[in-house]
Amino acid sequence: MSVLTQTRQDALNLFEKIGLPTGRDEDWKYTDASRLKDLLQPTPTDANIHIKDMGVTGLDAYRMVFINGLFAEAESNLPEGVSILSLAELEKNSTGEDAEGIAKLFTVDTKAPLMNGFNAWNAAKASDGAVIILADNAILTKPLYILHISNQSNVVRHSFMIGKHAEAQIIEHFISTDDSKALSNTCSFVALKAEARVEHTRIQQEGDKQSHVARVQVKQCKKSSYQFHGVELGASLSRTDLVVNLHGEGASCDLNGLFVLSGRQHADHHTRIDHKAPHCTSRELYRTVLDGRSHGVFNGKVIVHEGAIKTDSNMSNGNILLSKNAEIDTKPELEIYNDDVKCAHGATIGQLDDKQLFYLRSRGISAEAAQELLTFAFADEVLVAMSNQTVRSYVEKAAFAKLPHSDDLEEMLGS
Amino acid sequence: MLEVKDLHVSVDGKKILKGLNLTINAGEVHAIMGPNGAGKSTLSNVIAGRDGYEITSGSITYKGDDLLEMSPEERAWAGVFLAFQYPVEIPGVNNTYLLKAGVNAKRKHQGLEELDAFDFMQTVKEKAKLVELDPSFLSRSVNEGFSGGEKKRNEIFQMAVLDPALALLDETDSGLDIDALRIVAGGVNKLRGKDKAIVMITHYQRLLDYIEPDFVHVLADGVIQKTGDKSLAVELEKHGYDWVKENK
Ligand SMILES: Nc1ncnc2c1ncn2[C@@H]1O[C@H](COP(=O)(O)OP(=O)(O)OP(=O)(O)O)[C@@H](O)[C@H]1O
Ligand SMILES: [Mg+2]
Repeated sequence: MSVLTQTRQDALNLFEKIGLPTGRDEDWKYTDASRLKDLLQPTPTDANIHIKDMGVTGLDAYRMVFINGLFAEAESNLPEGVSILSLAELEKNSTGEDAEGIAKLFTVDTKAPLMNGFNAWNAAKASDGAVIILADNAILTKPLYILHISNQSNVVRHSFMIGKHAEAQIIEHFISTDDSKALSNTCSFVALKAEARVEHTRIQQEGDKQSHVARVQVKQCKKSSYQFHGVELGASLSRTDLVVNLHGEGASCDLNGLFVLSGRQHADHHTRIDHKAPHCTSRELYRTVLDGRSHGVFNGKVIVHEGAIKTDSNMSNGNILLSKNAEIDTKPELEIYNDDVKCAHGATIGQLDDKQLFYLRSRGISAEAAQELLTFAFADEVLVAMSNQTVRSYVEKAAFAKLPHSDDLEEMLGS
Repeated sequence: MLEVKDLHVSVDGKKILKGLNLTINAGEVHAIMGPNGAGKSTLSNVIAGRDGYEITSGSITYKGDDLLEMSPEERAWAGVFLAFQYPVEIPGVNNTYLLKAGVNAKRKHQGLEELDAFDFMQTVKEKAKLVELDPSFLSRSVNEGFSGGEKKRNEIFQMAVLDPALALLDETDSGLDIDALRIVAGGVNKLRGKDKAIVMITHYQRLLDYIEPDFVHVLADGVIQKTGDKSLAVELEKHGYDWVKENK
């Protein structure tokens, strides 16, 4: 058996041993994984998907398209001179001297925080993925836009390896072509060498009946900087585990999350930041706007390890419930194992600010439009940090469309 | 234009206004002075329609209509404007969008066409110039990160764009530097007119040198204790509020 086959078999064995998370698992208290059991098996097929004009239009970017978990080369547009490869292609040529390296892309780190059965399954069953290897000092001159289109269960596995001083902007976008019942299981591994910079956006906008389980695992070397924007708009159930390891001195991460949910949608982000080295900075801003009977879950855990002196960590989570039946479960957690740190964290669940509402109304904005406007502004603030304006306005429009809005407000923001 | 009759207002069961009467006619400028906590902001908030105030008796009529029956936005459409003592910051809401929405909502209510974007921007730029507001403030979020004085100047800028019939300026002069005070007062003076009225709440006689009032009222213990002309403010400065109570 080749080392690769062995690695994937190990992952499958691990999955069989640990299975899917259950409600007894503290980290899965609010998200019912059992109903995804029958959707695990990927169906990598591109049958009947016409992708013309899908996704973010007018974006000046390199492009990688995955249809039901398979790289669609014909739809893609990749830069010259940069290693951006298909995982499936790599796997085909895995007998050579790179065999060990390729096998490593499928290794499951059982000790990693928030590791679960979906992740093991992903390593065992991934049909494809993007493998980006950015050399030291290389700069990806345009963002890389990775569009995932699905109407079947799919398993993709991305690895982004960013060299010293290198820079990349990566946008993952997930959409569906119809409202089939299916599960997307995705993992993205991001490794930043010293002083590397990455801006990583994930926009989850899958169909009403779709489910989405993701793991984003980031390891940061010295003085590297990682910025994340996670936007949850679609799917009936979605769960993301975002795990950041601040491993090298002076590294910084900035994690932004936005959920705009309605109907019976359920979205859950568990984030975990490990401050392992001195002088690292972490920022986290999560906001949710929940309507209907939707359910948001945010669990943000920061661990400041012994020796991680001069840690500067700030986490804030704000939630607005637009309906009596919407629900948020939020839990910011902080564990500190040394004294020399500056940490703040907090969560709010609230209605809109009365003073702001009155101010807007006193300027002639109707009560309804004022509420909608403040709700939109609340959500939009999370997107301020997004550097790509085309992507930002795409997300703003999509989020706005999901929020209740009157004609008044539409006119107001339309211009 | 505005007729406040025997107004009694409580907050959280505490009586603040206790039978206040005030008549304001078109073309007039009124100044209201009075000690801290007397109820000056309460009065202006009640006129603008802020909730949280319990109006236990009395009435307010504005241009013949029962103001207390109107929502804050309806009052704005009818020409009532409040320049807040403490303007609130609204992150994520663009200053210019807010005004455009306000102006158009009012026009819609009056059965007028919406202003086109170009005409609106012309007005905005012209009014910004009037109060010497740096154009960079136009594209910023409402009051976010503005200094105290900048917030006050922004209030008067908004007033200039919305062009109200009745403007209530709640301590707009507090926090303005000497030059800003002169500029803002100049802006307010340009907005005076025979079909408009201005009510200024202030602690300082100095403002009244710039914007000359027709009447000066002293509000204390929940009622207007004394009304006079500009010279009353000078007397007040000299003798303090106890003198008013003793010389009703
Ligand atoms: N929301 C509130 N809750 C409790 N008390 C209030 C509230 N609003 C006003 N008050 C009280 O009502 C009284 C009048 O307040 P108001 O703000 O009207 O005074 P003011 O005359 O404007 O004072 P200043 O000159 O200091 O601005 C004060 O004692 C104040 O504490
Ligand atoms: Mg006051």
